[in-house]
Amino acid sequence: MIRLENLTKHFGKLAAVESLSLEVEPGEVFGFLGPNGAGKTTTIRVMMGILKPTSGRASLGGYDVAREPEKAKAITGFIPDRPFIYEKLSGTEFLKFVGSLHQIDSPLLERRMADLLEHFELSEWKDELVEGYSHGMKQRLVHCASLLHEPKILVVDEPMVGIDPKGTRQLKDLFLSLAKGGTTVFLSTHSIGVAEEICQRVGIINRGKLIAVGTMAELYRMARINGGGLESAFLELTRDKEPGAPDTKEP
Amino acid sequence: MRPLFVLLSPTVISWRNELRAGGRARRLRRLALIGLGIGFWIGTYWTIRRVLLYFQTVHDLGAALAYQLLLIILLTFLSMLLFSNLITSLSTYFLARDLELVRSTPAPAASFFYARLITTTVNSSWMVLFFSFPIFAAYGAVFGGGGEFTLWVALVLPLFLVIPAALGALITHLLVYSLPAKRIRDILFFVGLFAFVMLYFLFRFSQPERLVQPETFGHFLDFLSAMETPSSPYLPSTWSAEIFASVLFDKPTDRWFFFALITSYAFFLPLAASWVSAAVYLSGWSKAQEARQGRRPSNLLDRILHWATHPFPPTAKAIMLKDIKTFLRDTTQWSQLFLLLALVVVYVYNFKVLPLDRSPIPTETLRTVISFTNVALAGFVLSAVAIRFAFPGVSLEGSAFWILQSSPISLKSLLWSKFWLNLVPLLVLGELLVFFTNLLLRVPLWMMGLSLVTIFLMTFGITAIGVGIGALYPKFNYDHVAEIPTSFGGAVCMIFSVAFIGATVMIEAWPVYVLAMQGLSFGTVTGAGWILAPSLAGVAVLTVIAVVLPIKLGLKRLEEICE
Repeated sequence: MIRLENLTKHFGKLAAVESLSLEVEPGEVFGFLGPNGAGKTTTIRVMMGILKPTSGRASLGGYDVAREPEKAKAITGFIPDRPFIYEKLSGTEFLKFVGSLHQIDSPLLERRMADLLEHFELSEWKDELVEGYSHGMKQRLVHCASLLHEPKILVVDEPMVGIDPKGTRQLKDLFLSLAKGGTTVFLSTHSIGVAEEICQRVGIINRGKLIAVGTMAELYRMARINGGGLESAFLELTRDKEPGAPDTKEP
Repeated sequence: MRPLFVLLSPTVISWRNELRAGGRARRLRRLALIGLGIGFWIGTYWTIRRVLLYFQTVHDLGAALAYQLLLIILLTFLSMLLFSNLITSLSTYFLARDLELVRSTPAPAASFFYARLITTTVNSSWMVLFFSFPIFAAYGAVFGGGGEFTLWVALVLPLFLVIPAALGALITHLLVYSLPAKRIRDILFFVGLFAFVMLYFLFRFSQPERLVQPETFGHFLDFLSAMETPSSPYLPSTWSAEIFASVLFDKPTDRWFFFALITSYAFFLPLAASWVSAAVYLSGWSKAQEARQGRRPSNLLDRILHWATHPFPPTAKAIMLKDIKTFLRDTTQWSQLFLLLALVVVYVYNFKVLPLDRSPIPTETLRTVISFTNVALAGFVLSAVAIRFAFPGVSLEGSAFWILQSSPISLKSLLWSKFWLNLVPLLVLGELLVFFTNLLLRVPLWMMGLSLVTIFLMTFGITAIGVGIGALYPKFNYDHVAEIPTSFGGAVCMIFSVAFIGATVMIEAWPVYVLAMQGLSFGTVTGAGWILAPSLAGVAVLTVIAVVLPIKLGLKRLEEICE
């Protein structure tokens, strides 16, 4: 499970994330929505131990990210928004590298690699250097790498960028099947359709503050809308309020 | 140990894959590089060997002079290593593109630190190692070092390389942790540059030429004792020199003491750096990821730039304005001017301290000869500057090159705008350099005229070679601007520039010799214009070739990229 307690991250005077508290249960697909610059990526980077929080605490699977970073990372898979892959490595070499960092023993690693490369339709290209891959292929390779160690938690930042419709469908099915198997999926996305389709709950962040959390029905209620789906609720909740207007976040 | 090897594996495998990659062009390029390397080694070995053999002819002083030279060489290496390690550690620990990937895995922090330290050491030290081989080989050969000396070099050199690497990593960690986040890269670049420039000045102003003027010492024994005493006993360069001197010249020092000293530092400093890293790394890295502060545009600067670029067509003007503003706003680019400034000051200072009056050759003739050499030397200074600023012109477009490719401008006007942009400051620099050094030399009028015209023409060629070869070997993917001039294309550019300067000097050498001899025989020179005119015409033709050919080659290459 994921637990964030009063998480705050300041960049100089700018509060990128402010007092963010949140819990995501095992087996849940949680959508993290927000406008550009709302603090989604910063939250994820703090969760992954890439950025140090100004205050507050993040724990993954019961491990405090600041105190036990290695244990927390060992059970977590991460797909960043702009992933880096070593261009001069082949797909197989890259996966072996990531697998070795997770200390997966060789026979298991070989099996996992074969399964994942097959699933993401990269088997044919596995021995080619990454520099020859298309954007979509690189994305799929990063997805393979994040799932190699069968993580209990999967943190994904903008997963659908550069993926074709077929790939998008596959990815959505994958997230659902992972959640069914007990994996916690934390999905940061701009794509409201994706969130609406596969997330059990959604959190909306705006200007560094979590302004709403709940199921779709709860969000519609908070936004006081009758129709129009998550998109209308999102626009209503993130609309600039007049000073003194009531906060919509549920206690 | 296993995570350490795993963390190093992408670099090693990438090198292996790069080496395995075939293709005729790549093989030829590798062969050319190997050829250049071997040529350099042979040249350095030959030069150092000659110098050392010459030292040996100086009665009683051969070993002492060789020892002083070794001290200077090792001190230079140490300062280069420290500078290079500071910059490299900043990249490897805090700015590398794979950090997010590596740091989101459960790799132990200590393994990460040591893997990056090894990467930093290798990246920063390979060039020094490369330079040092022929030097040590020459020392071994001249002083009969044999197997024992080779063994000591193999033992001491790795320790000597580790110390500045660990120190660089340690200082970088502390700086990144304690400095304001938004200026880290800029500040560190300044610190490094400042350190380098200071060392350069210190070395120059310590007047090493004094050591070959024994009359400045009161007594021979004072001189000998000055020659045999290390100037900086607390530096690893001195400890290494002491060890080598005890093997080569039978210098009565306790080599085991110095070996123990250098070994203990080589083991302690990485350990100390790893403790510091464990304490401050995450905070520092968090800071390093924070955005930079923007600058306020200056209206006055805008007006000046618009006025200065007014004569050019609109597209060329747009490219020039973009280049100038980027240059002024990117500290990593314009701060290299400090290096240039140091180079120029030391260069001019050298002319001021030349002991011309003590020469047996008549001063006027000697001044002419030196002034002529000065034209070539100023050409080298200009080519060193051009390789820093003109050569990276096209590469600096980087991943934004598509904007120019998809714009309705011709690649020809792109290259020419870069040419004019670089030509103007290079011309000013070249003319001022030659004019002031000639003033210091008090050269005859005809020589002043010839120098100014020659450097004027030469600057056109050097600029075009910089811009053209820069387009021929563009390096759009770079982590740091300083990588561009040190690429393969940079070496090619340097070779072409040096060849062009050499050819220019050769064309003018004969008439200058005739005029210098006339001065020597008759005291005055007559008809200089007529004697110089044909060779100046020759230089003008050569310059046209040097301008047109590289630009054409660069243009062809850019057009191929677009295809």
